[in-house]
Amino acid sequence: MIERPADDDPSLTAATPEANPAATAPAANPAATAPISRRQVLKLGAAALPCLLGSTALFDWMTALAAEPSAPVDPIVASYDPTAHSWAFVVDTRSCIGCGQCVVACKQENGVPLDEEHTRTWVERHAIARDGSVSVESPAAGMYGFPPAPVLAGATEHATQATQFVPRLCMQCENSPCTAVCPVGATFRTQDGVILVDEQRCIGCGYCVVACPYGARYIVPAGARTPTGVAGVADKCTFCYHRITRGREPACVEICPVGARKFGDLTDPASEVSTILREQPTRVLRPELGTKPRVHYVGLLGEEIR
Amino acid sequence: MIVRVAGRAIVADPRLAWRAARVEAMNTPRGLKAWLAVLSVLVFIGAIGAVRSIFPGDKGTATTPTFEWGLLIAGYVFFAVTTSGLCLASSLGTVFGIERFRPLEKRHAILAVLCLVTAFGVIALDLHYPVRMVLGAAFNPSPTSPMWWMGVFYGIYLCFLLVEVWSMFWGHPRIHGMACVLASAMAIIAPTTLGAVFAVVSARPYWAGAFTPLLMLATAFVSGTALLGVVFGMVDRLHLTGFERAGALAIPAIRSLLTLAIVIVACLVARDVAVGLASTDPGLSAATRALVVGPLAVPFVGVRVVIGLVLPMALLVMPFTRTALGLFGAGCLTIVGVFADRLTFVSAGQIAPLTATSGVVSAPYAAYTPSLVEISILVGAAALIALVYTLAERYLDLRESDVHVGFALPVSLGAWWRGRSVPAGSAPAAEPLDSEPVVVEPAASRADPEPPPVAAEDPAQTFESSPAGPVTTEMSYVDEPDQDELPSEAPPEEPLSSGSLPGGEP
Repeated sequence: MIERPADDDPSLTAATPEANPAATAPAANPAATAPISRRQVLKLGAAALPCLLGSTALFDWMTALAAEPSAPVDPIVASYDPTAHSWAFVVDTRSCIGCGQCVVACKQENGVPLDEEHTRTWVERHAIARDGSVSVESPAAGMYGFPPAPVLAGATEHATQATQFVPRLCMQCENSPCTAVCPVGATFRTQDGVILVDEQRCIGCGYCVVACPYGARYIVPAGARTPTGVAGVADKCTFCYHRITRGREPACVEICPVGARKFGDLTDPASEVSTILREQPTRVLRPELGTKPRVHYVGLLGEEIR
Repeated sequence: MIVRVAGRAIVADPRLAWRAARVEAMNTPRGLKAWLAVLSVLVFIGAIGAVRSIFPGDKGTATTPTFEWGLLIAGYVFFAVTTSGLCLASSLGTVFGIERFRPLEKRHAILAVLCLVTAFGVIALDLHYPVRMVLGAAFNPSPTSPMWWMGVFYGIYLCFLLVEVWSMFWGHPRIHGMACVLASAMAIIAPTTLGAVFAVVSARPYWAGAFTPLLMLATAFVSGTALLGVVFGMVDRLHLTGFERAGALAIPAIRSLLTLAIVIVACLVARDVAVGLASTDPGLSAATRALVVGPLAVPFVGVRVVIGLVLPMALLVMPFTRTALGLFGAGCLTIVGVFADRLTFVSAGQIAPLTATSGVVSAPYAAYTPSLVEISILVGAAALIALVYTLAERYLDLRESDVHVGFALPVSLGAWWRGRSVPAGSAPAAEPLDSEPVVVEPAASRADPEPPPVAAEDPAQTFESSPAGPVTTEMSYVDEPDQDELPSEAPPEEPLSSGSLPGGEP
């Protein structure tokens, strides 16, 4: 390496003005050349902008066409006031019998795909061994119930102490990771505490799917059954928002034969969920994450349910 | 019709253009033709995969709700972060003016633009609605999302890179200096934000944490340096443009950088494994066990650690492999290791399942095997970078110089811009293309096949800009004898001007 003279600055910025007077020419003589170029630049920009916007709009329209649009029912009725409600959900694991009717009802009500991975709600069976370890299974998302004897890994080594059915759904967190990470604001929380997805705005990046600590989200696959008629967007339990805004219960709550799923309004102190939350010990899943779920569990066994 | 470009009259006639293309094809060495043909086939295969994956909801990928991010995300991270690494490595020359890093200047910029555009392409194919992303990010910004910030930063980064390339080839040193500084700053910000995309996901303990952005930055450094090592190994091996300076300055510099980068990354990987194995967090310990002894052990321990860190380190430090070819090998191995790192990183975050909806007895690990569509897209993307870069290496002037010459094809745009820059009196503004080319001293002196020690002294002149500056420099590269980059069998290039064509006038 040789030594450079002190005035020989390697930086292009510093070396230029002396060595290259032409580079400063536009500043020195702007009147001679600048108007033409500015006009050309403006012309180019004026021509390019509509083309760009037009092509993007066209492409979006075409992709929307390809996604088999349907006419989903407007979930918010005119008479519904979201500020007057604060919805909550209580699951009583002591009552749940694992029949799976809630899963069937949900898929039927919302047009959810029938496979086990793309589901808004599912039922798990937790087998708790004497050493505290928990084995979890959910065959076909619990849609068809469970086999009578749990065939669990390690069940023979560690005698099963207890089993329970744990219905799962979106927790509608008050401090929700999914709404925080969505890059385009497509998933949002309504004033009554339900988290929804705008299927016209979702880009299908899957960030909310990996960010949800409860695995409650999925990307809608193309096919006959698409909850909102749009494939390739995120979907999740909405507490059957189209029903609750019309004064009805979610489909899973309505169908549950043993009343293990309870739904109600926290602004009404006399509602069943308010009473349970006030009078009984309840738990939420993964409280250490600070997500503040709106789905509470009664009678949950085990130290840690993930 | 005659188009006057850069002082030459080019006949705009399709037949002549076709004839010129044939002449060019005949003059292309056979090895290069085979290489380009292989790459073209791979790009075509990738294009088929890309077309297959544009249908929303039916993209042909193997991802599931349990394993939502797969090979395409890993590929996006790989290409995007490599871009930043290229800028980080070359910023030592472009920003800090360290002499031995100057030869990296042009090649890094072209590679960086290629890698970043490819990364954008890969992520667009991964998204179900990429157009909505652009519109949504612009009109519905979501500042709580690291992904939104990542899009913003990488978008700005691409702009700076394009300005950097443009100012470099069209000769605007002041703009170029600023663009280099800004692009290098973005090269730190952008991969850090990309790391934050993963780091904020507290549901995935392997991703979450303050060390993830740091690891992303360090691996950016290592991947970009390794890619430069591969390129400059080939430059030296094939005696491409500027190989004397590459052998004397760039290769030792890249070797030092790569050694340093590998040491840093090895420390961070060791920390990751140690903390993960000792952790009481079930998700983190399960993911780390999967990496060390579980289903990801082969890609992690075998490829990431042994092939990606240990072997390159050996090649870099052993005396008898401290050659250009050794650096080439080390760079290739490191790139393979970095790609394995991207794949294992993305996989390990999701391998500890959150739910039991996989339908079987609670499996300890979630499973994911990439589909052919995903593999073909990534292979095509890598081939596209190699293809375009090979063409750039052949047809662009990649000599390092502060006084840059123009692109071959869109030279009229450059001439238009240069015409603006001409001070009144030096050349008629109406016909800037007719101005005489000025012989650029530093470039000419560098073209001399001097032995490396002498060439090492040359840069003193390098930084003296020509008195005429970049203003009236022309496509002089077609006249340079050393432009033929491929080995001895390569015949001299035919310039695509009318003078070289048989029957040049209509």
